Amino acid sequence: MPKCTINGKEIEVKEGTSIIQAMTENGQRIAHYCWHPGLSVAGVCRLCMVEIEGNPRVQIACNTMVTEGMKINNTSEKVKEAVKWGLDFHLINHPLDCPICDQAGECGLQDQYMEYGIYDSEMAERKVKKHKVVSLGDRIVLDSERCILCSRCVRFTDEVTGTKELGIFNRGDRSEIGTFEDRPLNNKYSINTVDICPVGALTSKDFRFKQRVWYLKDGDTICTGCSTGCNTKVYFNREGIFRIKPRFNKEVNGYWMCDEGRDLYKVFNRENRQIKALKKLGHSFEEMLPGAAAKDIFKNLSTSLQGASLVVTGQLSNEDLQKAFSFFTGALNSKQIYHWKNNPESWSDFDGLLLRGDKNPNTKGVEKCFEEFQIQTRFEDLEAALEQSQISTLVVMVPENIFAYPDLSAKLKHFGKAKNLILLSSSLVSLEDVRGGAHCWVVPMKTTIEKSGSFINHNGLTQFFKKVTTLVSEALTVDQALTLMGGGEVTVEMPHSSSETRFLVDYNHRSDQVKAEAYKKNEFSFKRGTL
Amino acid sequence: MKEVQLLTEHYSKPEYRTLKGYQQWGGYETLKKALKMPPQQIIDEVKNSGLRGRGGAGFPTGMKWGFLPKNGEPRFLLCNGDEGEPGTFKDRIIFEQAPHQLIEGMIISGFAIGSKKGYIYIRGEYKKPAAIIEAALGEAYEVGLLGKNILGTGIDFDLDVYWGAGAYICGEETGMISSLEGDKGQPKLKPPFPAVQGYLKKPTIVNNVETLAAVVPIIRDGATAYRQFGTEKSPGTKLFSLSGNVNKPGNYEVSLGTPLKDLIYDFGGGIKGDRQLKAVIPGGSSAPVLTADEVLKANLDYESLAGLGTMLGSGAVIVIDDSQCMVDLLGVLTHFYSHESCGQCTPCREGTGWLNKIVHSILEGRGRLQDIELLEKVAHQMKGKTICALSDAAALPVISFITKFRDEFEFYVREGRSKVKGISHAKMHH
Repeated sequence: MPKCTINGKEIEVKEGTSIIQAMTENGQRIAHYCWHPGLSVAGVCRLCMVEIEGNPRVQIACNTMVTEGMKINNTSEKVKEAVKWGLDFHLINHPLDCPICDQAGECGLQDQYMEYGIYDSEMAERKVKKHKVVSLGDRIVLDSERCILCSRCVRFTDEVTGTKELGIFNRGDRSEIGTFEDRPLNNKYSINTVDICPVGALTSKDFRFKQRVWYLKDGDTICTGCSTGCNTKVYFNREGIFRIKPRFNKEVNGYWMCDEGRDLYKVFNRENRQIKALKKLGHSFEEMLPGAAAKDIFKNLSTSLQGASLVVTGQLSNEDLQKAFSFFTGALNSKQIYHWKNNPESWSDFDGLLLRGDKNPNTKGVEKCFEEFQIQTRFEDLEAALEQSQISTLVVMVPENIFAYPDLSAKLKHFGKAKNLILLSSSLVSLEDVRGGAHCWVVPMKTTIEKSGSFINHNGLTQFFKKVTTLVSEALTVDQALTLMGGGEVTVEMPHSSSETRFLVDYNHRSDQVKAEAYKKNEFSFKRGTL
Repeated sequence: MKEVQLLTEHYSKPEYRTLKGYQQWGGYETLKKALKMPPQQIIDEVKNSGLRGRGGAGFPTGMKWGFLPKNGEPRFLLCNGDEGEPGTFKDRIIFEQAPHQLIEGMIISGFAIGSKKGYIYIRGEYKKPAAIIEAALGEAYEVGLLGKNILGTGIDFDLDVYWGAGAYICGEETGMISSLEGDKGQPKLKPPFPAVQGYLKKPTIVNNVETLAAVVPIIRDGATAYRQFGTEKSPGTKLFSLSGNVNKPGNYEVSLGTPLKDLIYDFGGGIKGDRQLKAVIPGGSSAPVLTADEVLKANLDYESLAGLGTMLGSGAVIVIDDSQCMVDLLGVLTHFYSHESCGQCTPCREGTGWLNKIVHSILEGRGRLQDIELLEKVAHQMKGKTICALSDAAALPVISFITKFRDEFEFYVREGRSKVKGISHAKMHH
């Protein structure tokens, strides 16, 4: 365990730690582009310069190991000069298109320039022209002129995915990132290259030009795409969610996440959400507020709810499952709870990196609940019973990630054979699917990012997540919905008025209060005129 | 003054390039002697001879061999025949006139360091030399000088020729290793050094063609005999490629420590057209330039040239007479380095291009006075900041040209034409 002094602070590090690791792990700031903790050392940006006592030349911190008694600093004039010039070399051929660049606001060049640069450029020559708007694959666009050739993306495809689609072509200041003719960048992790790109060279086709990043807030959550349970960050504002990025967790996903998981922001946004509750007693649907619908269920079905059947999926959090199981086994006195499994035959699939065949974040949690409440049922039995019209009331917790349930529509139609069908759904339910004979209620629910809870991943690891934001404020949580269905009352904390239920059930009170709540939740106030 | 002929004694004989001719003049006798010596003794002999790498850096060869791990791990011996330094053509003559001398040197060196496999990396433009060395390899394999059980001694050594594709950077040892591995020719980050982890991540020794050829006379005559030539710190002889405005350009083998002016005026027959000497680039294009006054003081050895702020480099002596425009020449050099930078490290990738553009702006009459200062600043910031020495190689000529011939640069900026030639760049070249 060598001890060293960095900028006057003595620290002890593990054997074989590089200076840059020692510095970043101990909260010291050091300029760098090409170094990434999840990739091999390239040592090409030449920005992480440090001065080591006894060595006349400045050294790069990423390829120098800490040795016993080493005295390191990166605040001397010599280092500052080297970093300043390092930046200048990066910038002389870099286009000044920050106003139209997607990376602006979270750009390595901007950040480092503000911290270590701030000089007048002496470059008076013509800049090098390179290819712009190069489509590297289905999801990625390259702007070669912005590229600083840090080679992070190349190393990512070489080392992490092993797909090796990217390379640096040509040499000198004509060097460009590119793909080989017949091998576009289409691997399942391709957007990670956008994340690790320190500049705006690689951009995601999905996210580019959608939002300026300074109008986005971020919040931590867990990916619901599969049983791996990658730790993620969602970026949102009051218009919705715009992208999802991975969050480092050594135990689960390291620095990465898959492209499939990034697409899931779409299931949270209003355009794919069930916003209004639906009620059908005769042949026509009636729209109502979610809370009102839940109350309506109690009013219409109070006694026939007893002994109702419940369908759950691995998309529900442990807390929601607990609530549902105890409500059904307790108040409703029913043990008819069924586990709806999508494509269970491929559940054991694993691509070796992150993607798993079980497209539910909490299958382990569901199994645990079934054990805990000693319920042993088979989903096939429910289907058979439905076929024979033996089910009178069926409550279905519709999965949040409908992309993982390709047979959703057929299944919903099948559920419609129950006399009373209650769908608790965050995702938009097609009217076609529930038009069948029965009485039907559709109650809008909150999604993972709108509530707190926990998932148990494939490995048995329980991961907690907190509420990030509210996109459909009138939607109900499982707790609220079941309480209202059981005849209880729900109170909601309001920002300006005292607690009341009315906003959930009464249209007249909604608009102001929803707006007020949304403002508070997002803590957003756009300051115009300062740009 | 007489030319010393330790390496090149028989180079004038066309039959010397064949196995029969080579053996006629004592070829492969040294190999037989060496294979009877303990390997460590060969290494010690090379160490004692003080042989320094002839490729450019001048690193002591014996010491380099000593960095190899002392275990049975497989290791490689690579011969660097990329010879890309502008002005250098000394390895070419070894390839063409004495391929067997190189092969013999490589077998001895391979035996000394315990390597069973060697590669000769030859630059892509050397088509004829490559054909000659390949033919020589064929001959050597035929009579059992290479392959399994060399000369019945039970020692194995295989040798192959690998053609480069003509990149200057592949003359840098780790760049060469990358190229040999089939990758883009880019230098690798050090540490680890090749002696620990080189070709295919195995311990690797990379030596210049001339260095490996010089092992033959060292083992043949012994270290003491070799040390009779040259100086204390630069023993032995070296091939110099003399080019530029001299009457008799060509390769000359001279004892290290010989005055530079002797090479130019005696061997080289003086300046062409009886013009005045203006400057000399003594060690390939990346060596800082010497003025005519400095040339008189300079000796052809590592320490004397280092004392004058330049280097012996690869031994490419480029003579510049007073009809040459230094701004124009620097334009040639900066263009070369910006063309050849591998593009890995930012200071070099961007810096070489920047330098080239500034020099050409001056040449095209768009120069500003502050550009001269800017050139120096940029060059200074490129020094010692990168993985390999190409950045330094590009920066050093810029600094030395401007420091020593500032008046020519200032004149060019003010007048938009060359001080020496009196005309503009466009007129000079078209």
